Amino acid sequence: MFHRESGYYKTTYAKDMALYPLPVARWAVAAIVLLLCIAPFALHEYYVSILNLILVATVGALGLNILVGYTGQISIGHAAFMSVGAYTAANLAVKLGWPFWVTLPAGGLMAAAIGAIVGIPSLRIKGLYLAIATLAAQLIIEWTINHTPAISGGVQASIEVPRPTLFGTELKTQTQLYWFLLFFAVLAVVGTLNLVRSRIGRAFIAIRDQDIAAEIIGINIFRYKLLSFAISSFYAGVTGVLYTYYLGIANYEQFTIVTSIDYLAMIIIGGLGSILGSILGAIFVTLLPIAIRLGMENWGGLLFSAADINNLIPNMRLILFGGLIILFLVLEPEGLNRLWRNIRSYFRVWPFSY
Amino acid sequence: MLKLSRLFGGALAAAALLAASSVLAQKKEIVIGLQCDRTGPTQTVGVFLCPGYHDYIALVNSKGGVGGAQIRAMEIDHEYKVPSAVESYERHKKEGAVLISIYGTPQTQALTQRLTEDKIAGTSPGFGTAAAANGDRYPYIFPIAATYWSQAAGAVQFAKDKLGGSLKGKKIAYLFYDNPAGREPLPVLEALVKEEGFEMRTFAVPPPGVEMGAQVLDIVQRFRADFVIAHLFGRSPSVSIKELKRAGYPLSKVVSFVWGASEADITAAGGWAAAEGYYGIQFAGVGSDYPVLKEITEMYKKQGKPAPKEMASTVFYNRGVLIAAIHVEAIRNAVKAKGGTNITPHDVKLGFERIKGFTLGGLVPPLEINNVDHEGGGWVQVFQAKGGKWVKSTEWFKAYPTLLKRMLATHG
Amino acid sequence: MFDWGFTLVLLTNGVLIGLMYSLIALGFVLVYKATDAINFAQGEFVMLAGFIIAGLLFLAGAPFWVSAIVAVLGMVAFGFGLERIVLRPLIGRPIIAVIMATIGLASVLRGAAPLFFGAETRALTLPISDEPIVLGTITLPPVQLVGALLSLAFLGAFTWFFLKSRMGVAMRAVADNQQVAMAMGIHVERYFAIAWGLAGIVSALGGLAWGALLGVDVHLALIGLKVFPVVILGGLDSILGAIVGGLIVGVVENLAAGYLDPLVGGGTKDFAPYVLMILMLMVRPYGIFGKARIERV
Repeated sequence: MFHRESGYYKTTYAKDMALYPLPVARWAVAAIVLLLCIAPFALHEYYVSILNLILVATVGALGLNILVGYTGQISIGHAAFMSVGAYTAANLAVKLGWPFWVTLPAGGLMAAAIGAIVGIPSLRIKGLYLAIATLAAQLIIEWTINHTPAISGGVQASIEVPRPTLFGTELKTQTQLYWFLLFFAVLAVVGTLNLVRSRIGRAFIAIRDQDIAAEIIGINIFRYKLLSFAISSFYAGVTGVLYTYYLGIANYEQFTIVTSIDYLAMIIIGGLGSILGSILGAIFVTLLPIAIRLGMENWGGLLFSAADINNLIPNMRLILFGGLIILFLVLEPEGLNRLWRNIRSYFRVWPFSY
Repeated sequence: MLKLSRLFGGALAAAALLAASSVLAQKKEIVIGLQCDRTGPTQTVGVFLCPGYHDYIALVNSKGGVGGAQIRAMEIDHEYKVPSAVESYERHKKEGAVLISIYGTPQTQALTQRLTEDKIAGTSPGFGTAAAANGDRYPYIFPIAATYWSQAAGAVQFAKDKLGGSLKGKKIAYLFYDNPAGREPLPVLEALVKEEGFEMRTFAVPPPGVEMGAQVLDIVQRFRADFVIAHLFGRSPSVSIKELKRAGYPLSKVVSFVWGASEADITAAGGWAAAEGYYGIQFAGVGSDYPVLKEITEMYKKQGKPAPKEMASTVFYNRGVLIAAIHVEAIRNAVKAKGGTNITPHDVKLGFERIKGFTLGGLVPPLEINNVDHEGGGWVQVFQAKGGKWVKSTEWFKAYPTLLKRMLATHG
Repeated sequence: MFDWGFTLVLLTNGVLIGLMYSLIALGFVLVYKATDAINFAQGEFVMLAGFIIAGLLFLAGAPFWVSAIVAVLGMVAFGFGLERIVLRPLIGRPIIAVIMATIGLASVLRGAAPLFFGAETRALTLPISDEPIVLGTITLPPVQLVGALLSLAFLGAFTWFFLKSRMGVAMRAVADNQQVAMAMGIHVERYFAIAWGLAGIVSALGGLAWGALLGVDVHLALIGLKVFPVVILGGLDSILGAIVGGLIVGVVENLAAGYLDPLVGGGTKDFAPYVLMILMLMVRPYGIFGKARIERV
């Protein structure tokens, strides 16, 4: 109803293969970009800080979705790769004084290398076994970082990192960091969009759907599974580095198994195997505790006393978090992404019903 | 499925409305940003410490607040996660908090740079980085209570006193939780080994520390320690008490750091009889025999309510009271200096650095915080589990101050 | 360096604690064996059982045996309810869905239990003496002995159950091939419920033993992480494997703590079982006693 989908005449292959062939899609993207650019000026610093957290989480969720949603593997070790990236970058920045545009890819590549190693068992084992192997990797990497002062920077296992500098100005305020993080988040989204449309992405999807059949038609699953782990870990490493620059400190206690589970929740709630799902999931999981707190602060006074509320809010958050995961799994296994698509397809043919 | 989508859309709209309605009207009040952990790994501490904090603030408010303004302690639970702590800090900043009561070592480290940039004072009592005691290096972080280094020095001093005044040739076992906080005292302990001439071996307990039979066995039967210094968290202190007892080691030769000697640990270890003789270092007075606690009970009675049950866990509850008391004292100093309640966070930082001679009837040690010493002296007190309750074993003391000062200068 | 007396004590400790680990792993194996579902919330089940017992003991002042029986019944009911409400809709979904569902459940339990029962730690005292039994250099604490005996009792009971009893054989049939079992007239869903109910019983007794050992609070759930090395080593669907796996993990942990820790500076105890586990995954993923799964296209 609101836009036409047919009748657009493409004259070159490039136009046909474009990311957004329909004008309405391009307008929508332009609008989103505009909103993102206005946001830091229109919102209070506190909300910008929340946006920053969401941006970093998006990169991590995208990486995990590549591995779990598109390639069908399981990983409970995502947070470990983040810590590998974080500590690599922190060490390089502090000991060698390298700037962020070198330490960021360095952290990512280091995490990718470790990720490929962790992915080796995926050639022999699947499903739960792979999940447990990645869990073991998470714990072993945590232990190694914790016990190697050369990596962890001493007894405290945290390294203070100077803020990133761009053309001489140090990026310190929430708004400045917003642009920094936005750049990389957009890069990650566009990269992933193109990755899944490419040959590699199609190989991943083939492996997910039926890996034996994929091997029969000539896809080297050894190579592609390892590649998937490596790419996903690269994203995770970059996420770790971004967290480090955002907080100004690399600390292994930020990257525990609880964080791995948070990211799994993001992609399940958001929708496995979809980029929009990763973004929506990251937004949802990051905002959930804040929304619960706001809700209880404003409306909880009607039902509970002040002392009880302080105790109630955090426990409610755990209950709601787990409950929502279960709810989504039972009612809408394809997550928020499917909900969005339902709304979209409803309006696509509105006011008709099909 | 569409029905669910509509439900969901409605829920989203409602949530957005809720969030929008969160703008609270600002009153004539001073806001403190209080972090807490009531659902994460240290919840067994948080659920007692934070009510203690709130109760003291309520007491102060009932007496008219500070300089006529009421104090609002805005609590946010961060589940011991760092991103949540950062978000809570931003929220506190938005609400105009004049100081942040940080909770948790990784949180302290993550917020140090921000606090310094924003010029807001943050306190990390009994945890955090020991190096933060150096006020020159960390102008906006205030340990305000014995850091792990001071606790280590205190433990060694106490062991020395108990072993007859000299540690030469004696064997001390350091049983610790294998995480950064547990390993932080190691440099101090190693320096003390050199200075006092004792033999020390370290025994790490990996998280979650629910099983340490082998380590305890080693301490008791192979190493045959003369004294055990324990630095454990969470579930592990009570397990250590049980294991040491099981191995036949006298608990009166065990002293624990501040987070391993609470009523909860004693209960979980099987009760006071099972833990008889166990020593614990404290940075706040223990037990209900302090005037401020009686005042809080009075306050509740006036409202027709019984004293809160959290008070029974005096180790953690009293710490909450202590932290709140020091915060209020800093605010009081700031208000006095400014001549009004329009104080900025920087004023409160200066207020901290003027704290002197504030003991709240013995609950608080004779702290003296100034612009180079943000710890206040590193005072500790040792209590012993005896006859069904915690009994004071020493007065407030600070151990090895020159050594600690030297280490702060070189390590910080 | 090699001290026989010390090693003997380490071994005994390892065996006892290992059997306690097995107690938890049994719940996991039961569920997986019968329904193919992976319960990441096993630790939280044990915690919930501990809370119920401790809650009844403290808040309601009920006598010990009453609390224990109520806890067992409660956990059985919980198992039934869980299977019905959460797991039945997830049959046939990819494995990650079930894993995430139990992870979500774990989160709910960890939030709900302290809310209803209170977050403070409580001691769970068993009606047995606290004094350890001393045999030379070895000390055997009664709590761990009780836990170990429970494990072995379950081993015997479940082995008989699955081999000889009608219900057990039916359950094995359901696990092997649901469709054929249905065709044979076996009520598949009822057996799923029974499996979860049995797991509830095991969890309840596990909660009893571990709660007595550690004290009951939300941290009790952390013991659930120990399940994985145990079941991978022993085999995900083998009852005997749960026992043997537990023994291996317990002994390895203690030997590592006794002998490797001084060399490395500590912390190898948690590390060693996971390294073993990874080696097992590379060489024989199904574990010592597990059944090999043949992938059919």
